[in-house]
This record gives sequence, structure tokens and C-alpha cells, in this order.
Amino acid sequence: MNSSMPDSSTILRETWSNGTTLLAYPNLTSPAVYFTGYMQPGAIEDADEFHGLASFTTDMLITGTKRLNFQQLHDKIESIGASLSLGTGHLSTTFSGQCLREDLETVWNLLVEVIQQPAFAEKQFKRVRNQILTGIAIQNQDTGAVASQAFNRALYGSHPHAHPDIGYAQSVAGLRLEQLESFHADHYGPNGLVLAVCGGIAPEVASEIFSRTIGSWQTNTQAPPRTLPPFTPPESSIRSHVALQEKNQSDLVIGVPAPKTLSRDYEVCSIGNSILGKYGMMGRIGKVVREKAGLAYEVSSHLGAGIGPTAWKIVAGVNPDNLEKAISLLKQEILRFYTEPVTQQELQDVKTQALGRLPLSIETNAGIASILVSIERYGYGLDHLRQLPAIIESVTAEEILAAAQRYWNVDKLVITSAGKALE
Amino acid sequence: MPINLNQNLHQAQLKNGLRVMLKEIHTAPVTSTWIWYGIGSRNELPGKTGLSHWVEHMQFKGTRKYTGDDIDNLVSRVGGYANAFTSPDWTTYFETMPSAHLHATLELEADRMVNSLFDPLDVETERTVIISEREGSENYPEFRLDEAVQRRSFQAHPYRNEVLGSKEDLISISRDDLFQHYRNYYQPANAILCVAGDISPQALLEDIENLFGGIPSAPLIKNIPGSEKALTPGDRLELEGPGEAHYLEIAWRCPAASDPNFFAYSIIESLLSGPSSLNMFGSGGISNRTSRLYQALVEEDYAASVFGDLSANIDPGVYKVFATIQPEGDPWAALKIIDDQIRRITSSELSVGEIERAIKQASALFAYGSDNITNQGFWMGYASSFADYQWVAEYLTRLGSVTPSQVLKVAQKYLQADQRVVGVYRATKPQEGL
Repeated sequence: MNSSMPDSSTILRETWSNGTTLLAYPNLTSPAVYFTGYMQPGAIEDADEFHGLASFTTDMLITGTKRLNFQQLHDKIESIGASLSLGTGHLSTTFSGQCLREDLETVWNLLVEVIQQPAFAEKQFKRVRNQILTGIAIQNQDTGAVASQAFNRALYGSHPHAHPDIGYAQSVAGLRLEQLESFHADHYGPNGLVLAVCGGIAPEVASEIFSRTIGSWQTNTQAPPRTLPPFTPPESSIRSHVALQEKNQSDLVIGVPAPKTLSRDYEVCSIGNSILGKYGMMGRIGKVVREKAGLAYEVSSHLGAGIGPTAWKIVAGVNPDNLEKAISLLKQEILRFYTEPVTQQELQDVKTQALGRLPLSIETNAGIASILVSIERYGYGLDHLRQLPAIIESVTAEEILAAAQRYWNVDKLVITSAGKALE
Repeated sequence: MPINLNQNLHQAQLKNGLRVMLKEIHTAPVTSTWIWYGIGSRNELPGKTGLSHWVEHMQFKGTRKYTGDDIDNLVSRVGGYANAFTSPDWTTYFETMPSAHLHATLELEADRMVNSLFDPLDVETERTVIISEREGSENYPEFRLDEAVQRRSFQAHPYRNEVLGSKEDLISISRDDLFQHYRNYYQPANAILCVAGDISPQALLEDIENLFGGIPSAPLIKNIPGSEKALTPGDRLELEGPGEAHYLEIAWRCPAASDPNFFAYSIIESLLSGPSSLNMFGSGGISNRTSRLYQALVEEDYAASVFGDLSANIDPGVYKVFATIQPEGDPWAALKIIDDQIRRITSSELSVGEIERAIKQASALFAYGSDNITNQGFWMGYASSFADYQWVAEYLTRLGSVTPSQVLKVAQKYLQADQRVVGVYRATKPQEGL
């Protein structure tokens, strides 16, 4: 194991009384700094008729503050070659920024300003709404996005995760500026904010910069996050197809609910998933669907991570005439995955891959910062990277088979596709 | 302080013509190996478009020594990652690996430079995979518009062709076509080997000599395209298709990357449509919200987004501006706004401050990319493929020497209203949203 692997002796972790947490790791040879993190709220806060409210609110933050209009704000960011971005996921709002190390305080203070004092200007509201509606219109013609949304609707049913974070054209078009302002006042605050920073700055110096702003942020209006409702998986197979005109390729999603992220099953399934559809040229399914049958350029499997329900799914892009053939081949591979143990060679290959990739995952400031965020989000502990090799090594073929049987069942698959109309 | 890209750089050339570039970086126990071949769609002939990209795919299918699985495992088993890219000017393969496994990647690259099998069964499987890759791209109106604009931008030069090749050619190309292409272009005299990372240059050079030194170079038969004509005055095209958002794309000629005017053009790009990053691997970019076109188009509601792309090529290429127009918007109205901005940049000099700002942005982008050893390996071969390494090593210095009057001259030379191609994709059949 690389001795410079971040751990509890080298990661600075501080929490402030207002509920914010900082994780910082130095990479002093770097002339740049990268920071990222998350905070309340997420799209889960959207009421049924207002899907897209959380995401729209976040998009408005970066359009100006009470002190700086759009042009002034972005001139300050872009003129020093920095970047600043915010986005909304199911459960949180994420943010990230990058700059030269001498500009960290400037860029961080701008982020704090857009979070705490957004202008919510009427002109920008109309503009951003049009941009979101255009984005939704584009997504509605994207076979991959349409198949993925159909999958979420089918898998999650009445659970909030069924809805796209960006909302729907109808719900976004109906949102009013006052709603966004109220949403911001009710949900934004320091409690639950997590920030990770890595780059050419000492952690103690980063801590000073952040404590002056976020560390002293107080608000008494921040509502507690909404509790996730229980998730009931579908009890039988679901198959749906969305027809889109003039598409030369159909996109396909096949999946099931994934294990909880902080669980032994997740660690085991993560290794299993590499064998199924990630390792090398996209694992077993890549070999069967792409390499042998030549049916697809893109085919891979993904094990979702997150708080609350997530999906374990296979995605593929295939010629419309080959759609059913691809589904059939993938079903065969799924069946094989939970009825036969993986071979020792397969297991050894993905283990050595996972172990070998650890040094590469901490090659960049952004890579390290994103790992620090995961450590905090999932409660892995600061020595997670040091513990990971033993966790990886401990996974057995029998465990993978048993876990695969708990999650995969060819009679309970959610299968969605989008593209040319089915005959 | 600006990044010094010449630091710890070692260069050599083997007797068979193979150029070697080594960059010693010891920040992590990682190496990134890149081999670049001077072959891309630029060298392809009519009826055989897509050959270079298809050969790239075949290089993962096996040699006498390595099966396709062996190639896959060699990198994956140790946690490395590998990929390959084909561009109009070059084809490149890379492996980023724990440094203890560097020798194995060099053995692989030396072997598949000359020993790939091109099994006929693999050729047929890959034919449908590549057609699938193309069909996936064709799903996007942006791809279809860009392909049409690119074809109009070049009447004869192969830059007019999509790197993936036309569907007709992908159906008709034979195994012999592919193998002949491979045998001709994959040889030491047409290649550059670059390694960045945790290396000992002298020992590594000896290893490279042992592995590659015995590979002979044959006379290279290279199709070098002739110079392209000026763009057709007033050239416009319009496509239609289902959807709601419209798209507008404009292409102006730009100089070859090795042309001194290219750096002034980069300043123009930065000012008009935002700075481009030379980083290949996710090191972040800079938004373009203060660029002139964003301000004029997006902030005034003529477009939902706009971006630009200045291509760095061996031969003169194109600078493209691409705007997404809202469903209720009008692409031709957006074009008029762009025209106003072009008139502005071709009629008055920039301030020195605007140039300094572009340099600061470029400097930051280099800093972001420099913490990534894979980027460091990429930069060496990338710049050498269309100019030389000093193109990237001195990029910031050369930007810094650009004057406002040079920018004005370059703008006036290349951004003429009648020397461009305008393409519009109009969404015609609004569909019910989800």
C-alpha cells in the first residue's frame, strides 16, 4: 500500500457547532485547489406538483447575488480562470470549485455569497426557466435519458426517486419566483453541509478560510431534511418501451434494486458488478454482447450508491432490430450470474484491478476530494482507503453468488427501452 | 508560477525513426504510456472512410502473442486503464498503470505495432460494433448537423469526413483494406512513443531500444491531401427532424495549429466563445458566461447555450460556434446576433486586459491538468502530432506575445461574413413530453 494514502493521520476533519464539516488533504506540489461537497436540500423536498423546484432554485443561485449581478459574478470567477458549479441530486445539493491556490479564498467566498445571498432576479428567473425547459425538451428526445427515466418510473413507482431531479416541463413551467425564494429560505443552511478540499494549500490554512465563512453561518429557518419514505420494489417483471421518431439506435436499461451502500452486500456486489459488466471491456456482458455478438458499442453494468434506494442496472445502446436479441443475451448472462459462482480467475482479476486502481484514484485533487466526500457521506471513516484492500481481498465467490441471488431474478427485472417503435 | 513543461523532459529517436519522449514525474507510483501514429481520417481516400478508426478497434483484438483477453487483462488486472482515440490527424493508444508494470505495456505496444492478426471473424464483429457506435451518434441532432457542416466546410480535403466513416464505407470495407492500412501506417518511422510518470529515463530508453529498435520501418505511402479552397460565400444548409430545440452551427476557416496566427485565433476563441482546455482527462474547465457570444445570445434570450471549438490540426481546419436555440426561438435571429459580434471583433482592437485575461485562464487550465500524469503523457504526443512539443510547452508564452493589432488582423482575415458555413437544425414535429 502506498504510504501516502490519505488516512486519519493526514486528513484534517473538523466539525463546527452549526453542523458543518470540513475534510482537507494537502497536495502541496499542486498549484491548484479543488473543493467539493454537499448540503441540504435535494429534489426529495419537491412536492408532487412542483417537481424541479429544488433544482431550479439551485440553478438560480449562480445567476447573481444581492451584491453582484450575473456579469459581475461570473467576471470575478472567469477572469481568474476559476470554476464554480452547483447542482441538485435526489438528496442534496452539490457544489464544486477549482482555482489556482492563491485564489482559493476569493472563489470560496463567492460560493458562500451565492449560497447565502442569491439575488433571485426576475429577469434571470425567466431565462433559467427557459434554459431548463429547453434542457427537458432535449432530454425528451434522447433515447438514453428517456429509457433511464422510464426505468426510474417503473422501479421506484410511488417513491420520490421515480421523478427526474430537473422536473417535468409542465411542473417547471408552473413554478413562480416566490416559490424559489421561499424554498431557499426554508431549506438552505449550514446544518449537514460537508466540504472536502484538496490541493496546494495546507489543511490548517483551508480551515481558517472556511471557518470564517461557513463555520460562522447561523440560520434559524433551515428545515430538517424530509425523511425518505419506504421503498417497495416491483413484485414482478416490468417491460416498457418509449417510441421516439427517427432514431437509429435504441437505448436499453435492465435492472433491479441495489443493496444498501453501507453494507457488506454492497462491498460484495461491487466486486460482482465488475465481473458482470465493468472489468476490462465491460466484463461478461461486454464480452457476450459486444465482443462476440457485435450488437452494441456501449454495454455495461452499474451498481448505484447513495442514501436510500438505488438501482443495479445494465445499460446498452443497440440497433433497433437487435433489441430483443440483446435483451435475451443479457437475461442469459444475468441468470448465469446468480446461478453459477464466478470463477476464481474472474475474482482474482477484479480484485487485483480494484487494488491496483487505488493509487490512480488519488492521482488528482478532484479524485481525492471526491473520495473524502464519499467517506463522510457514507460514514466509511477516515481510514477507509487503508481498510479497503482487506475488504476487497475478503470477498469470496460464494458470497457473490449468494448476494447475486438476493438481488437478481430474471422473473423480476425492470426492462425499459427507448427508440424506434416496436413492431 | 507557470508550469514548466520542459522540466525533466528527455527526447530521443531510434535508428528506425521512432521518436521517443520521456517525462520524469515522481508525484505518484504511476506511469502513462502513449503511442501516437501519424494516421487519421486526414489520410483516408474516398470510399475508404473510417479505416483508421476501425484499425484502432482491431488493435484490441489480438496478436500472435496476445489474445484480445490478454490485452484486456494486461491493463485491467493491475488496476490500470487504457483506451485509444482516432482523430483526423492521428491515432493514439494509452495505458496508465502502476509504474511497476510499465515494461509490460511497452511489450504490448511493440508487439501490436507489427503483429496484430486482423482475424476475419473479428473484423465482421467489429463492423457491426462500429456501425452501432455511429448509429448511437446519429441519434443526436447535434451530430447530424455537425457532420453536414463539416462536409460543407471542406470540398475535397478529407477533414470533410467523419472519423467514424460513412455507413456505406463501413459496410463495404474489407479485411484486406484494414490490414493494408495497418501494415502501411503502423511502423516506427510514423510513430511517437511518450511515457510520463514515475520512470528512470536512461533505463527506460534502453528498454525501449530493446523492444522497438528491431522493428524495421518500410517506405511509408502516405496520402497527403492538397490544400482546401476557401469556403463558399454565403453557404447555408438546413436540416429538419423531430424534437423541440433547434441548433445553429457556424464554421469559419482557421489556420493550421503550427501557423503563428493560431495563437491570436485562440485569443479570439477565448473572447468570443470561452477558453478551450487542452486537457484530455477530466481536470475541469472554465465556464464561458462572460464570453461575448454568451452575453449576446444567452443573456439576451436568443439561445439557451453556446460554445465554440477551435480545432488544432495539421492543415487549416475550422473554428465552430454551436448554439442551442429554445423551442420558441429562431436560429436565424441568433445568427444576426452572432454577426454583430463578429463585426465588432473585426472592426476594433481588443484591450491588453482582455488578452491578459485569456492568458490567465489558459494558465489556470494548464495548472488543473498538470496534476494528472495521463494528461502530461497526452500533451507530449498531442502537440507533436500536428506541430512539436514546444507548441504546448510554450503555449502560454506565445499567447503572451500576441498583440491587439495581431488579433484584429487575424479576425479580419478569417472571420469574414462571406467566408463561413452556416447550418441550422430545425425541430419540426414537436412531440408530447414525458
